[in-house]
Amino acid sequence: MARMKLEDLRRKREELKARSKETNYIKVGMSTCGLAAGAQETYDIFKEEIERLGLDIKLKKCGCLGMCFAEPLVEVALEGLPTVIYGKVDVATAHRIVDEHICSKRIVNDHVYELHIKE
Amino acid sequence: MLKPFEKIVFIKDTNAVKADLTRHYAGIFSKYVRPLIEDRKVFVVQAADLGIYGEGLVIKIWPNNIYYANVKEEDIAEIVERSIVGDEVVDRLAFSPDAKQVRVVLRNCGVIDPEEIDEYLARDGYAAVEKVLSSMSPEDVIEELKKSGLRGRGGGGFPTWMKWNFARNVQSDQKYIICNADEGDPGAYMDRSVLEGDPHSVIEGMIVGGYAIGASKGYFYIRAEYPLAIERVQRAIDQAYEYGLLGEDILGSGFSFDLEIRLGAGAFVCGEETALIASIEGKRGTPRPRPPYPSIKGLWGKPTVINNVETLANVPVILSRGGDWFSTIGTETSKGTKVFALTGKVRNSGLIEVPMGTTLREIVMKVGGGVVGGKKIKAVQTGGPSGGVIPENLLDTPVDYENLRRLGSIMGSGGMIVMNEEDCMVDIAKFYLKFCVDESCGKCAPCRIGGYQLLGLLEKITMGEGEEEDLEKISLICQAMQKASLCGLGQTAPNPVISTMRYFREEYEEHVKEKMCRSGKCKRLIRYEIIQEKCVRCGMCYINCPVEAITGSKAKGFVIQQDKCVKCGKCYEVCKFGAILIGSKEPVEHRI
Ligand SMILES: Cc1cc2nc3c(=O)[nH]c(=O)nc-3n(C[C@H](O)[C@H](O)[C@H](O)COP(=O)(O)O)c2cc1C
Repeated sequence: MARMKLEDLRRKREELKARSKETNYIKVGMSTCGLAAGAQETYDIFKEEIERLGLDIKLKKCGCLGMCFAEPLVEVALEGLPTVIYGKVDVATAHRIVDEHICSKRIVNDHVYELHIKE
Repeated sequence: MLKPFEKIVFIKDTNAVKADLTRHYAGIFSKYVRPLIEDRKVFVVQAADLGIYGEGLVIKIWPNNIYYANVKEEDIAEIVERSIVGDEVVDRLAFSPDAKQVRVVLRNCGVIDPEEIDEYLARDGYAAVEKVLSSMSPEDVIEELKKSGLRGRGGGGFPTWMKWNFARNVQSDQKYIICNADEGDPGAYMDRSVLEGDPHSVIEGMIVGGYAIGASKGYFYIRAEYPLAIERVQRAIDQAYEYGLLGEDILGSGFSFDLEIRLGAGAFVCGEETALIASIEGKRGTPRPRPPYPSIKGLWGKPTVINNVETLANVPVILSRGGDWFSTIGTETSKGTKVFALTGKVRNSGLIEVPMGTTLREIVMKVGGGVVGGKKIKAVQTGGPSGGVIPENLLDTPVDYENLRRLGSIMGSGGMIVMNEEDCMVDIAKFYLKFCVDESCGKCAPCRIGGYQLLGLLEKITMGEGEEEDLEKISLICQAMQKASLCGLGQTAPNPVISTMRYFREEYEEHVKEKMCRSGKCKRLIRYEIIQEKCVRCGMCYINCPVEAITGSKAKGFVIQQDKCVKCGKCYEVCKFGAILIGSKEPVEHRI
């Protein structure tokens, strides 16, 4: 990418905005708090499972979602289901998310955490 | 392809402190809707936390996003009939979750991938740089900040526009802007989270700051203990260079700005601005007297603005959305939001952002979900080692710079530690003071000697050797340190001592006069005893004592051998019958 001028930046931002409406993704909180709680292992499980099962879902990383008491935190968005934040997602829970949420479209028990934020 | 459920019901017992009845209620609910579940019409989920506390059984129904609170078992049939089978709301049970958090600084944290500049751009990233460089003069930028009312988030709360304006008005061939990411308060990690979760927002704040004051060079001063933050900031800087957002002639505007990282070795005092400057210059990180202030004479003698990470992360939003918008959030004197690292005896510890003016009680109870184990809250500590404690009866105070100062604490950088009955206030004061004594650079005597002497007195008191004159001596040394220390470290190090003495004097007196610590924290002042009348001789304490200090048998009963006891409190913890007593150092009367 070459150095941009003002107009380039504007154009690029608009393009990116149009593209950024992703509907299917798994997002893992990978800041220090998440990593200390095992977010890397969790991430790796999702990566392996997505490849193994050939799932059409994007795997992403993000920073701290704030609920450090429930790390590792994972946000899952899938068409037809509410976007949920799962907490305390260890390796076993990551497998359950793939099997139950992604494959069977059933939200996993005991791991949903909700955060109320005003914009 | 599997058909998704039409409705999803989230269930949570929000009164759960010890016994959680979520599963029980979910079972009842499921019974009512079994045929619907089989038809994939509805699915019932036991949630872990709906962000609502103390409202009994809470039920959320998706996709209508109906919330019901304080639901009783007998209400379930009606909810199923009207809101699951039908699409109505049962008004009498309807509840709207009260969102206490507002995200300005953390707007992108946990949302975007911090390693991808494109994700930042897609969230209106670098729109402030674009706006400033294309349509605003440096004076306009400072004016906008003035309107916003933004004050420094590094602790002092100095108006940001004023600092920028001082530096702007000094004539100099070279000026600098520095981002203070030294974050040394124990328990605080707001700045780390911002740098790790949204590094571009801070870079953008620095570019705008550089433009406003006329600096062509900026530094991030980040402690080396933050390797991931360093890595992500470096990556973000590289990406910004590649896109033409840093370096020569940014976006073709003619403005040039370079940015570099400098690592700190983790000394607390290097967060102090003059020590920080010395450290960047390659000198020993010790403070120097001010004035001259860095905005007049800073790094290498040039005008330098030093701002905290969170202060800078606010800047792009202020310029994009306007100072007027920003100033609608917060209180009269303190605008915007504040990020806190909420920790200690709170159920949900984590990173939170609330508008200034939110009360401490709302923060602990509504955002933090209350105190762990349902215990009584004793105090909230803010401002880290430079701050103080705010007792339970003052928790309804709205958080802003002035209120916290009036109560003998400070806003600080945003550490907030919740304390309950198990915390000893003398011990807390000793902990923070010990931190400052360890971190004192030793340059000035009031801090070096005063801190050491003060700590000695607190240690004496917690060891059960305190005398009444000690309390008087403590006050005197505190005053001397506050008045005579060279920098903020020594000036504020006595704050935790002063504020615990102010609100919890009776605990100090108990330690000194009665040689007792009510919380059981000061090991030398307590003694564990078995209350024989309550003891059922189950032997749990006997089995669990790590030093075999409990002797006896199930037939004869058990006794704690005081000479062997290490006061670990294990027996107290495992006794289910409340038969272990924490008493003062002197033997308890009612023994057999
Ligand atoms: C002992 C000591 C430690 C400090 N540590 C920090 C720190 O870690 N981060 C920070 O931003 N400010 C820290 N400060 C405050 C800075 O000196 C300075 O006021 C601040 O960075 C200014 O930024 P602001 O105006 O954006 O708040 C510390 C001050 C003292 C006295």
